[in-house]
Amino acid sequence: MADGNESDRLQEETTFQRLLRRPEIGSFTVMVVIIIALAIASEGKSFNALGLKNNVAIIAQYGIIATGAAVLMISGEFDLSIGSMIGFAGMSMAMMLKWGLPFGMGEASPFAAFIITLAMTLALGWLIGTVVVRSGLSSFIVTLAFLFFLRGVTEVSFRLINKSTQISGLPDYKETSWFANILGGDVFGWFYDIWFMLGGNLNRRGEQWVEGFDARFLWWIVIAGVAYFILSRTQIGNWIYATGDNKEAARANGVPVNRVKIGLFMFTAFCATMFAACQVFDTNTSDAAKGNLMELFAIAIAVVGGTLMTGGFGSVIGVVFGAITVGLVANAVFFIPAIDGAWFRVFLGAILLAAVFANERIRKRITGGI
Amino acid sequence: MAEPYLRVEGLVKRFGPFTALGGVDLEVYPGEVHCLLGDNGAGKSTLIKTLAGVHEPTEGTIYIEGKPVSFRSPRDASDAGIGTVYQDLAINQLLSVTRNFFMGRELKGPLGTLRMDEMNKIAHDEMLKIGIDFSDPTQAVGTMSGGQRQTLAIARAIYFGAKVLILDEPTSALGQKQQMGVLKTIKKVRARGDIAIIFITHNEIHSRLVGDRFTFLALGQTIGAGTNAEIGDEEMRRLMSGGAEMGDLKEELAAI
Ligand SMILES: Nc1ncnc2c1ncn2[C@@H]1O[C@H](COP(=O)(O)OP(=O)(O)O)[C@@H](O)[C@H]1O
Ligand SMILES: [Mg+2]
Repeated sequence: MADGNESDRLQEETTFQRLLRRPEIGSFTVMVVIIIALAIASEGKSFNALGLKNNVAIIAQYGIIATGAAVLMISGEFDLSIGSMIGFAGMSMAMMLKWGLPFGMGEASPFAAFIITLAMTLALGWLIGTVVVRSGLSSFIVTLAFLFFLRGVTEVSFRLINKSTQISGLPDYKETSWFANILGGDVFGWFYDIWFMLGGNLNRRGEQWVEGFDARFLWWIVIAGVAYFILSRTQIGNWIYATGDNKEAARANGVPVNRVKIGLFMFTAFCATMFAACQVFDTNTSDAAKGNLMELFAIAIAVVGGTLMTGGFGSVIGVVFGAITVGLVANAVFFIPAIDGAWFRVFLGAILLAAVFANERIRKRITGGI
Repeated sequence: MAEPYLRVEGLVKRFGPFTALGGVDLEVYPGEVHCLLGDNGAGKSTLIKTLAGVHEPTEGTIYIEGKPVSFRSPRDASDAGIGTVYQDLAINQLLSVTRNFFMGRELKGPLGTLRMDEMNKIAHDEMLKIGIDFSDPTQAVGTMSGGQRQTLAIARAIYFGAKVLILDEPTSALGQKQQMGVLKTIKKVRARGDIAIIFITHNEIHSRLVGDRFTFLALGQTIGAGTNAEIGDEEMRRLMSGGAEMGDLKEELAAI
């Protein structure tokens, strides 16, 4: 057989070696180390009933936008407008809730505010994607332009209509609207109920302490689950990988490369909108500075999760591990008051650099056949 | 003799004022390897790009099974059974063998899910048919040798219905042993009997080893053609070095 010896060589790989080859292995190891270190350093406080809820809240926030950023990166593009898109979407929803629908169409329900906002952000995602694929410019520069543009539009709109760049004291829509409740309310209450029944989850008076996780936990699971399914099991997933790996090869084989990219810019806009919606309906506030720097966290987490900067490779599971790691460290200062919060950025910088090197090694190992 | 699957008559391709192909004829038969030979710049790539629907001919006609066709896009050509394996192979290194094999033409179940097991099996079987037993089609293509990648690209083209397989210098970037692997693959495809192969090469030995019929191009013209038996070594060497072109040059020099 032609080249038979080379296929034999591949057969020698053991299950363990295949596991090591998985893109998630680095982020998984770091996550385990962080969980253990944090549990010890905070004397268990970071994983008590409230600690867990608060940690999951920030992890889910990171996880939602990092999923969008990672899938887009796998297709070979970046989106620096995620943070500004969060600000824009939050402004849009809060403003409609406070000042009513545009063009004097009356009061806005939470659902209407969300849907109209989503229509706008998806249109913006489409626009960004279209500019990138049509112009052939780097998405880095195009989305940097939208980072400024959207943040500016957000502030200007706030000042023009609201006279202030903040909205607070909106009614608690969770009480009256099921829709607001699935975005900003509690989920998985049964988890804390069981914990309580087992004798834990008690406050000082001996009552049940925490009722449930923030709803964004559920949305993160949904978004990450769908992204995982699409990437690994569907035709579109194959197109996303193919587009990011070698665009021309994908195109030559009939993959609609441009549609894939535009669709994924819309997906990051969707993730940013979900981030904002959960925040608005949870806190009943909004602020022009919301989402600041989030695009960079999203990209950092995607990379820590094993996504290649050059595209074509990455995994949603790895990004889940990355979000857990980064979220836990971001929150660590609340559980270990002795440490300076700025260490978080030192840590993030360090694991980001380590992850880039590790990813590069993985890429070389995979493409090492030639 | 059987009817040629693909016939080209008087093909002219001009790029602005520049004539890249000045009236080329070509006939390729199922079950035969047709070697296209010629120096750099002779117009080989232009010819096959015209056949593959990348360029539209300026003049001349392409016939498929005797019927004239005109290709507006690579899609048209591939629908007509022309499968082109370019030098860069149109392959994604980080993707698995199977995902590359079915790239853009995935087998879908309900909900757009991939029928992965079936795809793995087909990719494995199709590659086995023409020469590699690649035990694990879920491996990334990056782990394959250059020759194996050629086989993947060829198997893919055949599976998706190529009746004419065009190979643009498939051996030029490979080591000796892998070159032999590709030649074996070409032989295996030939042995099926239903596929016509156009094999572009610089290598005299390779063309002798697998070729049934030769066409020599120089400066966009056909300067010679014939079967393996008809063309002797001497003649071959003369045509490889651009035969007619040398003759012209001699006359020109004599005229001074
Ligand atoms: N798109 C094009 N525009 C202008 N000239 C071209 C184009 N493609 C090829 N040519 C010219 O046509 C000639 C033949 O090129 P090519 O077909 O690539 O030769 P070969 O593959 O035999 O080396 C060359 O002189 C080349 O510069
Ligand atoms: Mg060429």
